[in-house]
This record gives sequence, structure tokens and C-alpha cells, in this order.
Amino acid sequence: MDIEPFMLRALLTALFLGPLCGFIGVFVTARRMSFFSDTVAHAALAGVALGFWLGLPDPTLPMILFSLLIAGLILWLKERTALLNDTIMALLLSGSVALGMVILSLLRGHRGELDRYLFGDILSVGWGDAVLAFIVLVSVGSILFWKLNALALLTAHADLAHVSGIPVRWLNYGFVALLTVTVALSIRLLGIILVTSLVVIPPAAARNLARSLRQQILMSLFLGLIGAVGGVAISYPLNLPSGPCITLTLAGLFVLSLFGGRLQRPMRNLS
Amino acid sequence: MDIAFRIPKPAAVEVRDLQVQLGGTPVLRGVNLRIEAGRMVALIGPNGSGKTTLLRCLLGLQEPHSGSVRLLQEGPPNPSLLRRIGYVPQRLQLDPSFMLTVREFLAIRRPVTATWFWRPSRQIDEQLHSAVAEMDVTRLLDRPVAGLSGGQLQRVLICSSLLNEPELLLLDEPTAGVDTPGEADFYELIAEVHQRRGLTVVLVSHDLSMVYRHASRVYALNGVICCEGAPEEVMNAESLKQAYGIHFTPYHHHHHHPHSHGGHGH
Repeated sequence: MDIEPFMLRALLTALFLGPLCGFIGVFVTARRMSFFSDTVAHAALAGVALGFWLGLPDPTLPMILFSLLIAGLILWLKERTALLNDTIMALLLSGSVALGMVILSLLRGHRGELDRYLFGDILSVGWGDAVLAFIVLVSVGSILFWKLNALALLTAHADLAHVSGIPVRWLNYGFVALLTVTVALSIRLLGIILVTSLVVIPPAAARNLARSLRQQILMSLFLGLIGAVGGVAISYPLNLPSGPCITLTLAGLFVLSLFGGRLQRPMRNLS
Repeated sequence: MDIAFRIPKPAAVEVRDLQVQLGGTPVLRGVNLRIEAGRMVALIGPNGSGKTTLLRCLLGLQEPHSGSVRLLQEGPPNPSLLRRIGYVPQRLQLDPSFMLTVREFLAIRRPVTATWFWRPSRQIDEQLHSAVAEMDVTRLLDRPVAGLSGGQLQRVLICSSLLNEPELLLLDEPTAGVDTPGEADFYELIAEVHQRRGLTVVLVSHDLSMVYRHASRVYALNGVICCEGAPEEVMNAESLKQAYGIHFTPYHHHHHHPHSHGGHGH
């Protein structure tokens, strides 16, 4: 079977980013950072718009940079003000989307491209994106494995992590930066609105099946891979945007994991 | 009072004129504290008395505005000093979506088991064995930490801090999540660990009922150390009654709800 070059690029990007999102997602869900992930994803819309405004041919770089800026702003506001986390993130999420929309409306000829950034478009994945996805997989993945114990302890108890000699603050900044880059890059496949599903659903489904953190991480990696690659693979023949296809594949896997979990532990209280 | 001419043992914890303000309110107003090495002591005080703040200062989590903290005769808390201290928090902030097992939780804190992810459980168990047996948590190794009961979690937390062979063990409200019958066993267990290992144990608590049976010395905190001494002395002291309010009766409530006393004092 012949494979179109754009399809190959999209499949490879999914193959690299799916497992990575699944891995980092284990800590995102456990640290209750799903909304954070959603916020930095939406911030990317302003990045895309700024990229077009500056006349850049490819908005990947401004997307990542603007998401990082918003991530930094969230941390800064959290440390410097009495505002609640939720409030800060809702503020920056809506603010970024509004800024992005205003810029896109002022620029002529780009409104039509909005859909591909909101819901993902495999046609927009270039070789540069695939290569970048591979680099991010290798670097972010190795850092996560290298800092696995520190991250797990930070997730369990921040003060205990501090007392154990872990530089809690820097570890948290680092984690936020890695998450932001991973999410911003995955927007090409899933779109701004749905990208968090690849970070949240695999670890949630893995949790239903796993009996340890190791199993949860390995299963989440695997489910992320199946969801991302499977979703891209079905989106082309069905002529559908890739984001919803990936998210629905993941949702299907989640439902299956519920049954799997029940079979495994029939006596367990599902609370 | 201690015997008058006894040569003082070295101090595991020494706090001098410690002052901390939080949001403009003075919480610690010149705390002086000296805890001898090798003792099992209790630091008690009603809610809002500054216990948590003092504990955070000891752990280097809170910068004092003035005064000093000296641990294990060396100096203020720093990473290398903190490695020689076992801290047992009240509970973990663990979300049930995180499937960390007890075995994994114990393994992540030790250099020898740092590569647990890639190794079979059996090998990990061999390296955890002594502390796991000492705290009787062998049967819990495969359980997710987020699903443990209060008493089980406390044993696991103590086990985890013992893995690093600490010289000083700080326990924050150790029986807050433990049921009343479990409480007595729990303090027995701590007392055994204390005797066997000869380490300094500091119990930080607002629950007086059990503390006074096991602690050899009690420090009552209410912004300052308002009294200290042997448990019987401190429990009867007028200043403590003032600190806890007039409803405080330390000797007759072993089977009552642990939170019904001392929680409303000023």
C-alpha cells in the first residue's frame, strides 16, 4: 500500500507525541493540572495569530513561545497575587483566545485557517513538525524518566519532596515548561480545543487497569500511542479532522478500560 | 525540672528567640526551645498556636523573621542536614488517580532503589526489607498509597522516613487520621522505634491524651513556649490551662473524639 507523504508525516508525529502526552499526562492528572494544560493550549491561538501577523510562514515557534509566556504568567500571578488558580487560568485562557481572535479578524485571509488550529489538521503537519516532535519525544521523555522519582514525590507531597532535598520550585517550573512545549506541539494534530484529551484520557484509562505507577505509566504511554496513531489513521479515509478522531478513539479506549477494570476487580467499589 | 547537676546532653533541636509573622500577624513571638538528643518529646498547642509554623521553620520551609534554628548541633536546616531528618507529614496530597503503590513510594526515596521502574519487585523488596518489617507494612507493599487508611498511611510514612536512617524524627499530628483504638498501638510502635534506634522523636500534636504517656518531656506552645517539663507537670500547669482554655482536662478523655479538646483555645 502506498502512503501519502503528508499521511506519513502525520502518523510519525502521532507516533512520537501520543506516548509522550500519555506519559506526562500521568503527572498532569495526579497534580490536578488538566485545566492548566487547557489554558496553555488556548494561549497558542494568540501565538498562531501573532505568527501570521509577523508574516511567519510557520506558526509553530510563536505558538510554543506564547504558550510558554502564558505558563510563566500563570506561575507568576500564582506566586505574587492572592488570586485563586482557577481564576488566574480562566482569565488567561479567555484573554488569549480573545487576543488571538481579534488579531485574526484584523488580518485578512486567515479566518479560514481557524478550524485547522481549533480542531487539528493532518495536512498542516510539515516535516519540520515531525522532526521537532521526535526531538521533543526524546528530550522530554528522557528528562521525565530521569526525574521520575522526584516528580512522583512532588506529586505525593511537596513539603516531603523539599525535605528530601528536591528543589521543588525548579522542578515545578521545569515540569510546566515541558508540559507546555508538549501540548503546544500536539496542537497540530488535535487542535487547541481537544489537545488536553491526549494528556488526560490515557492516564485516566490506564488508572482503571493499572495496579502500580509503573503499570500506569506504561499503559498510558501505550494508550496515548494507540489513540493518536489510530485517530490519525481513521481521519484520512473518513475525511474528518484529526483532533475529534483522536479524542473519540481515546474516549472509546477509556470506556473499554472501565470494563477491563471491572473484570479485573469485580469486588472493587468504583468510587 | 531536670535534675539540677546533670550534664546536659547535646541538643537535637535548638531554637533561639524565633519570630515569625504571617500576613502581618505575629505567629511565633520569640520561641526558645532545646530538645535533647535521644529523647521522645511532644510539642503541643491548640490550633493556631504556631505548631505548624514552628515545624515548617525546623524543616526550612519557612524563613524566620528573626532568631535561629539549629539542628543536630550543626546549623539551620539545609539539604545535607535535612537528609539526616525524618519528616512524617500528617497526610499526603495524593490524588486517587495516581497509582503509586507503597513499594514504589518507599523505593523513590532511596538511592539504592532509585531505578525501581526497571527492576523486578522482588529485588526492591530485598532492599527495603528491614524497615518494612520493622513497621509491619509488608502486606501493604502492593497497595496504592492513595487507598490506605489513616493508620496504614502513618506506618508507611514512618517506614519511608526510617529508610534514610534519620537521627531526628519529626511527626506532624501523627494520629490525626487514626481511629481511637489504633492510636494506642501507634504510639507503642513509635516508642519501640525510638528505643530500638535511639533517635530523637518530636511529636507535634494538639492531641494530649496519648502524648503524655509516651513523651518524656512536653513543650506547650502558644506563640511562645508557655511551659515545658515532664508530662505530669505540664499537664497541670496553670499556664497550659490558660493556653488551652478552661475546658481542658487532660487526664480523662482517652476514649473521646481526639478533636474535641483544645481546638478552640487562643
